[in-house]
Amino acid sequence: MIGQIIHGADFAAEHGTETFDFVIIGSGAAGATAARVLVDTGATVAIVEEGSQVTSSDFTDTVWPALRDLYRGTGAQVTRGRGAMGVVQGRCLGGSTVVNSAIAWRMPETVWQSWETEYGLAEALPYAEIVQRWAQIDRELSVQPTAPEVWGGNNVLLEKAAKVLGVLAGPTSRYTAGCLGSARCQLGCPNRAKRSMAETYLPYAVESGATIITNARAERVLSDRSRASGVLIRASERRESGRRGRTLTIHARKGVVVAASAVQTPGILARSGLRSPHLGKHFQAHPGALVAGVFDREVSIWNGATQGYNVYQYLDDARCKIETLSLPPEILFARLPGVGSRWLEEIAHSNYLATLAIVLRAHAEGAVRERRWFGGTDIRYDLESRDISNLRKGLRFACELLFAAGAREVLTGVHGLPERLTSPDQLRSIEAGPDDAACYSLTTSHLFGTARMSPDPAGGVVDADFAAHRLPGLYVVDSSVFPTNLGVNPQHTIMAIAMYGAERIAEMNS
Amino acid sequence: MLSKHDRAVLETMLPSRTHQKLPLGLFDTGFETLYASFDRDAARTFRVGFRVGLWTATWIAPLLIRRLPPLSRHDRPTRERALTALARSDFSPFRQLVAVLKTVASLGYGADPRVRHAIGYPGSAYDEAVRS
Repeated sequence: MIGQIIHGADFAAEHGTETFDFVIIGSGAAGATAARVLVDTGATVAIVEEGSQVTSSDFTDTVWPALRDLYRGTGAQVTRGRGAMGVVQGRCLGGSTVVNSAIAWRMPETVWQSWETEYGLAEALPYAEIVQRWAQIDRELSVQPTAPEVWGGNNVLLEKAAKVLGVLAGPTSRYTAGCLGSARCQLGCPNRAKRSMAETYLPYAVESGATIITNARAERVLSDRSRASGVLIRASERRESGRRGRTLTIHARKGVVVAASAVQTPGILARSGLRSPHLGKHFQAHPGALVAGVFDREVSIWNGATQGYNVYQYLDDARCKIETLSLPPEILFARLPGVGSRWLEEIAHSNYLATLAIVLRAHAEGAVRERRWFGGTDIRYDLESRDISNLRKGLRFACELLFAAGAREVLTGVHGLPERLTSPDQLRSIEAGPDDAACYSLTTSHLFGTARMSPDPAGGVVDADFAAHRLPGLYVVDSSVFPTNLGVNPQHTIMAIAMYGAERIAEMNS
Repeated sequence: MLSKHDRAVLETMLPSRTHQKLPLGLFDTGFETLYASFDRDAARTFRVGFRVGLWTATWIAPLLIRRLPPLSRHDRPTRERALTALARSDFSPFRQLVAVLKTVASLGYGADPRVRHAIGYPGSAYDEAVRS
């Protein structure tokens, strides 16, 4: 049986209310993986996705169309607090997997041990089971280290620096098959080489009979006799067919699986009447900062894998990872210093830059909640002083790596530090840098913890079976359930845990 | 619609004919087309941030270098000094507004094929070269 991908307005006009075994909210890493598992059990599955269906032919090499069509809030979602941090999320069929760098990192075992000892999740999330799911995903999504042939200038320089300094480092493992190194991961892979959910698990689910309803926002989960029974969705207008948007109900015989991300999931649960002191709380992230090295010869960050090499020497002592990061010209320009003729001078030399991201495993916890008046989600987040201290260490290491690779200067991008360092002797100044988070330009796309799992109803929002403590039949399988952040890129762990969770959900409802 | 004051801010950010390698200014790159789409489709907070940034650059930035607003009454070097002062202000909301202005300006400027050619951006030419 072949399923379908259908615009919400068309679904409303052609089908109206329908009933499935499971309704999954969200088509990103967690939702698509849950669908991939549930269709294999013979269950009928509907996936509700707020964004549009996009294909590689829709992808351009300019940024604005991508922000408009692929990103939540046209890429301008920020946190509120001391220093606004960008929160980057995909909003299209396949979610963030369409626009991220396809990095596959396994959760460090030390993190899982803290989940076991501090949060009592040893039985809920057995490590051996997660390892098995990682291995399965590795096979199915072609996880492999970035091949040297597509490293390009930026990745080559980081490898050189890592060798000079003798630090733990290596090519980044990614979900790719036939990567050409176009450095355009954030705009959607033009060559269909990225094994995003839109290229893998979602087509698999459709071939196995799943129905994907796009352009449909999940308003709330409905319940019947104290059990989740469906989802009220609001389909947006379809200009091409002249079909108007409307609300309709999709019924779920066995359960509703929420996988809308750590920012959107708590809003859906709250609108559905779920109450918990932990809902929307414990928001954690991996704030990222960028430094750029200026070289005497062209680096050409636009040739080669977007993020093909990383240094993990500092994961434990500074809780940070350093990665190459190629940015499209528009985004890179905006990060360069100066205005007017000075800015133009920086732009003119942008092909001589190597760019590194520092990804911090922050201790800080924030909160997300629905905005009452203006719509959208309010994300409150402030780094702790120990986080800023670790961030400075990470910045220092990244600058050291750039000098080791032969950079003539390093652009720090931090207000309160010299705009450019011209010698490794100046590195010490970074650690004496500002304590104010607003002095750092930060962005994150790794989000966790707003509907955390706990076997104890007083300790979390969902139980050890991924079910909401206070509403049977409602399940959460995305990174909202993680009790902490990971310190490494989360997609691989999100997928493994969603896979394991979906198997449990299927067992419980068989 | 961009007013005379708005245009003065954006022209100052990326001026025409001041750089040998990049002689194009922002308004030589069809920024109005990008702006029309931005004004129609960008998230409300993004649009409001951009408008507030333009207003602040017009009416506050000159004061930071002890000149009377609006920005548009001054010559280009003075306008640049005023915007630089805004970008380096110790008051973080000012810096964030400049970041929004630079982001929106970059969305237009960095997408222009002539600018991309001048800086050596390969675009799809790289893919084709690898394939062949």
